[in-house]
Amino acid sequence: MRYLRIYKIFLKQYLKTLMEYRSDFLIGMLSFFIVQSSNLIFLTLIFKRIPNLNGWTFEEVLFIYGFSQIPRGLDHLFTDNLWLLANEYVRSGSFDKYLLRPINPLFHLIAERFQPDAFGEMIVGLSIFGYAYHLLNLSFTGIQWLLLIIAVLSGSLIYTSIKLAAGSIALWTKRSQHVLFIIYQLSDFASYPLTIFSTFVRMILLIVVPFAFVAFVPASVFLDKPYIPLGILTGAIVAFVMWFISYNFIWKRGLQVYESTGN
Amino acid sequence: MIQVKNVTKDFTIYKKDSGFKGAVKGLFVRKKEIIKAVNDISFEIKKGEIIGYIGANGAGKSTTIKMMTGVLTPSSGEITVSGLIPHENRIENAKHIGVVFGQRTQLWWDLPLEETFTILKEIYNVPDDAYKERLDYLVNLLDIQAFIKQPVRTLSLGQRMRADLAAAMLHSPDILYLDEPTIGLDVLVKEKIRFAIKDLNEKYKVTVILTTHDMSDIQELATRIMIIEKGVIIYDGSKEDINKRFGNNRMLELKIENLSETLLQEVSVMCHKKDKKSIVIHEDVVLRITFNQDRLAVADILGFVMSQCKVLDFKLRDQDIEDIAKRLYAGGIHEEVV
Ligand SMILES: Nc1ncnc2c1ncn2[C@@H]1O[C@H](COP(=O)(O)OP(=O)(O)O)[C@@H](O)[C@H]1O
Ligand SMILES: [Mg+2]
Repeated sequence: MRYLRIYKIFLKQYLKTLMEYRSDFLIGMLSFFIVQSSNLIFLTLIFKRIPNLNGWTFEEVLFIYGFSQIPRGLDHLFTDNLWLLANEYVRSGSFDKYLLRPINPLFHLIAERFQPDAFGEMIVGLSIFGYAYHLLNLSFTGIQWLLLIIAVLSGSLIYTSIKLAAGSIALWTKRSQHVLFIIYQLSDFASYPLTIFSTFVRMILLIVVPFAFVAFVPASVFLDKPYIPLGILTGAIVAFVMWFISYNFIWKRGLQVYESTGN
Repeated sequence: MIQVKNVTKDFTIYKKDSGFKGAVKGLFVRKKEIIKAVNDISFEIKKGEIIGYIGANGAGKSTTIKMMTGVLTPSSGEITVSGLIPHENRIENAKHIGVVFGQRTQLWWDLPLEETFTILKEIYNVPDDAYKERLDYLVNLLDIQAFIKQPVRTLSLGQRMRADLAAAMLHSPDILYLDEPTIGLDVLVKEKIRFAIKDLNEKYKVTVILTTHDMSDIQELATRIMIIEKGVIIYDGSKEDINKRFGNNRMLELKIENLSETLLQEVSVMCHKKDKKSIVIHEDVVLRITFNQDRLAVADILGFVMSQCKVLDFKLRDQDIEDIAKRLYAGGIHEEVV
């Protein structure tokens, strides 16, 4: 409860400062929409030529793409400060302060920043998802909607866990921006059907950095073409295991070896 | 209240050769070097003490403080603060300490100071009444009212430091760690900060650990001094005893009519005969002699000089902490210890 209250206060303060930097916000949104529309144009162009991608129709690919943006946006909204952890907090020594306050340092780090740019991803994701849902003539049952929510939450948690793991490397190396960036780039693959990639890429996305469970695996379940059995459950388990490993074995271990900086 | 026992902190640094070749080489073999930033230090601090923790740059002061506050994990040894091991119980420990690093703020850059305080109130879970009372007290003590509505990034260094100190004390901690809180401040702000530290210590028995390069901070505040050099604590005791420890030095200044090279030579030879480490220098007509009074008596010097020439004026001064610090910062007092 106290943590919720603290989060609310941070959020309120953040929104206040946001007003001061409104132009930043607008530019962020704009660049985001440019990226999104270029992705969509790319998809449409491909499907003009090949109407069927490895057994996936244009509508289905849209469905997967739209779905993938929702957990991505949700994670982005809340945990953007992990980027700053990776890039500068350790190097500059400003990370010290999180270890000097009587609240969970990861919560403190994350609560401090809120990224409304992410609404862009979520809006685009939901629209494309809705559009594809309509084109595909889907009609989900209550249970399916529930599973969908679980899948979205699991997907976000996978994003957060992977970002946390890569960001925490900075606690050893002072900076892990590049590692985080490269790994995060891999998530772009997760917006498309996994089957179009080589076995090598597939294995990476399923086992090493399991972005496949963010969108493709659950979406394949909702499209009635399950890629693996019990996709949603497996996704949830993967999410929890990833979180457990990242939090306990990387982040917490990192706090013990954290060296701060000389002046 | 604070126990530090045989604590060592090593840092491993990787040396890079310069240039492109060095960078490529660095990818494969890295030269490892281990720095003992803090080397087997032990001390105890009691409630209500104000420790002046001094030493040259890089001596290990900040590292010690970071270990006591729980930010860093010691490489070996034990630290307990009010019964807790700081790095293992960071959250519990944080409730009872306040920390100010002069070099960087812990406030939120974009937020008005007032809002910062309300966030800290929640983070430290300070009850409403206590918060009001405390905030009033601190705002008064540190004279913050005038800029409390401004975003932290617009504050001057002096204002920011006062704000940082207030923020660190908002939850009424028992221990206050101050790492160079007066660095870069003008005399007036320094005075304010000193006054505040004193007041907190007297009214609330706050234990203070203070590092500084400003010896007047130490003179005015410290009830005990610890000196660290190259990671080793070389002095731990009162302000008064410090002279005994580092040679009972005094300085004699003589204003002399027609000060000549020969006279300078003669005085120098005479002083060195009795105290090898004495230093004789001159500036215009002023002869300055630093000597250990256990070996060389003032009367001997005066008698000798007066027999040779006319002394217009003289001044005798005890070595103070400032002098000791100067020698310390100039590169080591260690070998001079008797
Ligand atoms: N995070 C760090 N990584 C590597 N070396 C460090 C680090 N922090 C401090 N040092 C080194 O340890 C020594 C002591 O530093 P520090 O405690 O900051 O000294 P002081 O505060 O007395 O100036 C210095 O040689 C410094 O370069
Ligand atoms: Mg320091």
